[in-house]
Amino acid sequence: MESRAIRSVLVAGGGIVGWSAAAALKRRLPRLSLSVIAVPPPPEALADRLVCTLPSIVDFHRDLGLTEADTVVRAGSGYRLGTRFEAWADADYVHAYGSYGTLLGSAAFHQCWLRTATTGKSAPFDSYSAAAVMARENRFAPPEAVARAGLGTIGYGLHIDPLRYREMMRAFALHLGVAEITGPISDVRLNSDGSIEGVHADGREIAADLYVDATGPAALLRSRLDDQWEDWSGWLHADRVLFGQSESPDKPSLLDRAVAAPGGWWWQASAPGRTHYGSVYSSRLLKDSDAERELRERTSAVPEAPVAIRQGRWSQPWVRNCVAIGDAAVAVEPLEWTNLHLAHGAIDRLVAMMPDRDFNPAELWDYNRQTGAEADRVRDFLVLHYATGGSEAESLPPSLAHSLEQFRERGRLPFYEEETFSRDNWLAVLFGQSVRPRRVDPLTDGVPLAEADGAMARMRETIAIFVARLPRYSDYRERLGKEAA
Amino acid sequence: MLAVPKTRVVVVGGGTAGWMTAAALGALLAERCTVDLVESQEIGIVGVGEATLPHIRGFNERLGIDEADFMAATKATFKLGIDFENWGRIGDRYIHPFGTFGRGQGQVDFHQYWLRLRQEGAAIRELEQYSMACMMARLGKFDLPSKNPDDIASTFNYAYQFDATLYAPYLRALAERLGCRRTEGRIVDVELNGESGDIEAVVLTDGKRISGDLFIDCSGFVSLLIGKALEEPFEDWSKWLPCDRAVAMPCRTKNALTPYTGVIAMNAGWRWRIPLQHRTGNGYVHASAFISEKDATAALVGAVEGEAIAEPRVLRFRAGRRTRSWVRNCVAVGLASGFLEPLESTSIYLIQAAITALVELFPEQPIADSDRDEFNRVIDLEYDRIRDFLILHYHATERSDSPFWDYVRTMEIPDSLAEKLELFRRRGRVVKYREGVFLEASWIAVYLGQRVIPLGHDLRADMPAPDALARGMETLHGEIRTVAERMPNHAAMLARYCPMAA
Repeated sequence: MESRAIRSVLVAGGGIVGWSAAAALKRRLPRLSLSVIAVPPPPEALADRLVCTLPSIVDFHRDLGLTEADTVVRAGSGYRLGTRFEAWADADYVHAYGSYGTLLGSAAFHQCWLRTATTGKSAPFDSYSAAAVMARENRFAPPEAVARAGLGTIGYGLHIDPLRYREMMRAFALHLGVAEITGPISDVRLNSDGSIEGVHADGREIAADLYVDATGPAALLRSRLDDQWEDWSGWLHADRVLFGQSESPDKPSLLDRAVAAPGGWWWQASAPGRTHYGSVYSSRLLKDSDAERELRERTSAVPEAPVAIRQGRWSQPWVRNCVAIGDAAVAVEPLEWTNLHLAHGAIDRLVAMMPDRDFNPAELWDYNRQTGAEADRVRDFLVLHYATGGSEAESLPPSLAHSLEQFRERGRLPFYEEETFSRDNWLAVLFGQSVRPRRVDPLTDGVPLAEADGAMARMRETIAIFVARLPRYSDYRERLGKEAA
Repeated sequence: MLAVPKTRVVVVGGGTAGWMTAAALGALLAERCTVDLVESQEIGIVGVGEATLPHIRGFNERLGIDEADFMAATKATFKLGIDFENWGRIGDRYIHPFGTFGRGQGQVDFHQYWLRLRQEGAAIRELEQYSMACMMARLGKFDLPSKNPDDIASTFNYAYQFDATLYAPYLRALAERLGCRRTEGRIVDVELNGESGDIEAVVLTDGKRISGDLFIDCSGFVSLLIGKALEEPFEDWSKWLPCDRAVAMPCRTKNALTPYTGVIAMNAGWRWRIPLQHRTGNGYVHASAFISEKDATAALVGAVEGEAIAEPRVLRFRAGRRTRSWVRNCVAVGLASGFLEPLESTSIYLIQAAITALVELFPEQPIADSDRDEFNRVIDLEYDRIRDFLILHYHATERSDSPFWDYVRTMEIPDSLAEKLELFRRRGRVVKYREGVFLEASWIAVYLGQRVIPLGHDLRADMPAPDALARGMETLHGEIRTVAERMPNHAAMLARYCPMAA
């Protein structure tokens, strides 16, 4: 068996995804020989360029032994606690990373909240989330402090500076012993069995036991093996992304904005010293020139040329000796910022499931099953925003239809494996978008209404008092920089 | 909301399933429903599942049941797992523990480090030597788990072995306190609505008619409502699980009062040994295609440890389940919905799973399809996963000493199990579910205990140097041993904590 072990891995793609994969593989499986063909990612590789990331990036760094001095201070990152959704529903709402409310007796918090909501007396759902209130107030404390105060859990993602972040990850990978090969990729040669025999770059052919395709949506390697692509454009209509940056940055903010607009939506993300904008739309509903003009008018941003995306995923991201990750495996719009998260999930799985050179179908099947399920549930979560945000969709993915039916009927969220977003994340969006279950959960009978209302009022008050005492985010971030210096 | 009239629930059958359901509805949904339970003293109860899974603790807790009081009343003992004998080969023995192997740390499962050292040829102990639950079981010790997650004594869980014929009356008292009405009588007719096909009422021998909105079929194997009246088909799984008989015979306890259930493979099935405070339960689950009832009875009588305290009694069954457990206005709970042999003590767990789903999906009138569909989806998942786990025990064997073992060793297995087996054989990977009754440690215990030995391991386990890793594992083993040795003996713990009334 050991003699069949994979010895060498070639990562194609020198963006954040490629370098992150190489660093993680070398760090966790040091016996492997790792090389990266450092082709710069194309502009439509969203995981390699989006500023907003989910809390899973913090776990990814921790597993690699990277500290916040590296990933936040030296890489110029900021913190983010969530997104404010504007104009998606009657009122704005915050989807923050953390718990919403705490259990009241035998009934789930959200069911009690819902019961009170039917009496018309409840405060917004996000006022029971420490993370959401901190985000709105732009005050920060680490998750341990929130937990110590008994206010549930919070998680934070980062606003990365994509170029500095990529350089940080590249330097780390090189430090670990990853070899760098200059691009571009001029050819990909296949064996007679359809596996990859070698990749041409830097004037030579490079061969490896396993090829990781991180070349962005073109999937230069993976696309040579088959063309089984699952197209999501029937559910997710956006096919253009426009990026822009402001010349006069705003104050850094823990809360990003996602604003619904005709043809799609636009965002604002205020990192330390940089304010980023972007617009996501369907080219059938909005002309590129109009999208550019609108972004310019709404914001102080200078838009770049729009990039085209095609939402969907490979049915099997891993075939024979080639596994696609990042935009090469799955392409989704930036809504909810899942792009790099999905790449990290794939990298972690690759590390954990590293097979041998036989590429046993059962092992690849398990990888593809998990990776596919994770992507499909992210897709469902994104479609949810549109399906409940006014533009009633004509058809829904069956798994989302099931979730929505159960929720609309009685506030139940059926469990799915490989879910990225927790129950509270789903609730934040569902309640935020004014989806109200038809029935109140009978189990709330066990908690008298007045008692629940009292407990909920105290919960809100405790959060408000706690947050008011926290340092302002800009002060917190500044101090972090000074401490590390 | 409060103007809605209460749903009239009629529970048919007063065994474990019936009284668990009645008590749960009374405790959790008293505002929503009234509960009538019909049972007949003439019909014996099967008294399934003398051995249970840890989930039952959550059920009792939710009903506000005091553990020591319940254990004393049902003459219960503690259960840390199941001791399997003669399964992989005659002479083999392993424990399926309620707890982890090693200490849960990082993302790499403990057994991967163990596999790696073994594959490198290092001299290391058997896997169970690194499990708190296994160690306590082997030493005959018991204490309640620590609540501090850093404490090694927090790495196990436990269930009970109890007299199921005493659990139902215990719950009956609770259910009646909560307002459940009990009617004595045998059901002779089930009235269906001519238009909708829903059940309208059940009719007793004396002509009494009990009508309701929602009927819970807890009638056991006869499946009076969902099977007989509503004719929901039965999916037969006997090609994978050929055992269809059990002969049971309790005896006086002669050997030690073990904090675990014994499950001993026999020529045409397996034998249970369940020590209670006052007696030991024994039974031989067998396949009638491979052994006669007479021979099975003789084998059981020859094997029990102490003086018999009842005549051997034979039960007949068939592995499988109703295609749907909730049909129209009828929900089947327990044996009326399906049967899986008690090899992994899942009978009461399946009752509990159905009750939990029913409470979460408790319907309005008229009943929404979405409630029924979701209930059936959840129950299907439970049945399918337990089914695969049970089949594994038979299929993963090297035994070729009898036609029974030849059959199960070579039979075709469901694809879902074949995939799991192949993944484990490659590098010890367990298909992980966040939901489901048997988690990683259970699968690992059975795979390794029954000689499914992986060819490789998770490469992340290569990280620590071999000496350091071996030393760390030895320290862990020592800690587990020391902590277990300091615990009270199982019998002493019972005498102190929950002695049965004399």
